[in-house]
Amino acid sequence: MRSQMELLVLYQDIDLMLLEAEEEEKQMGFGTEGREKLQKARNDIAKSIEVRFLRTYQRLHTRYKRPISPVQNDVCLGCFAKLPTSYGERGRNDQGMFTCEQCGRILYWIE
Amino acid sequence: MNSSDLARLFRPTFFLPALKSKDKEKIIEELVQPLIDSGLVKSKRLVIDTLGKRETLGSTGIGKGVAIPHCRTMAVSDVHVVAGITQAGIDFNAVDGKKVNLLFLIVAPPHDSSNLYLPILGKIVEIVRDTKMRKALTQAETFETFIQIIRGE
Repeated sequence: MRSQMELLVLYQDIDLMLLEAEEEEKQMGFGTEGREKLQKARNDIAKSIEVRFLRTYQRLHTRYKRPISPVQNDVCLGCFAKLPTSYGERGRNDQGMFTCEQCGRILYWIE
Repeated sequence: MNSSDLARLFRPTFFLPALKSKDKEKIIEELVQPLIDSGLVKSKRLVIDTLGKRETLGSTGIGKGVAIPHCRTMAVSDVHVVAGITQAGIDFNAVDGKKVNLLFLIVAPPHDSSNLYLPILGKIVEIVRDTKMRKALTQAETFETFIQIIRGE
């Protein structure tokens, strides 16, 4: 079964895709006629995400363009704070939602 | 971005001169596979899903036999480019309705600090708009030949 974190990451990836669509269309000529369809797909994904995950994402989205921050070598790449080692394997395996103690972003381990 | 900068992003193992897949979904998977084999992707499903969602926005089959499937995804931590050729051609729902023979897959992390993603995309679009280069790239049989063409040599 797909983890809540992976669904939330897909949700953010689509958000960014919609943001960059105009640039891709104007500068490179890519068609973006499916914008509404993609927004619907994003909303469908949202239905499978736990409310507390989605609310946290949406609250952070008012402050950050990318509310989910990648983690590499136990460092939040959003603010470069060192993360507690206690996050350990659970964070790495997307078991639950962890947020950065310094910037508040949702954390996603990319390694 | 210039042609040499772009050429440096390609790797021999990320050049697939004889793609075998017969449909759009499968050929995207075939292009992603070298990244999986190299351990560069955290979740294959996430990459495939995100690329699929990008195709929902609009086909990346830009016409004249070329497709550039691309996306930003947190499943990767660096920008990667994979090139592939299928002489048989596949239906990619391209803007001109023609079959696609030459494909470039681009994946990049959202936090792409060097901000290479859009310049790479733009440079590839520029190269394949040149009829002579596009034809030469489609006929390239080796990585060395392919890179020479990308460099404009």
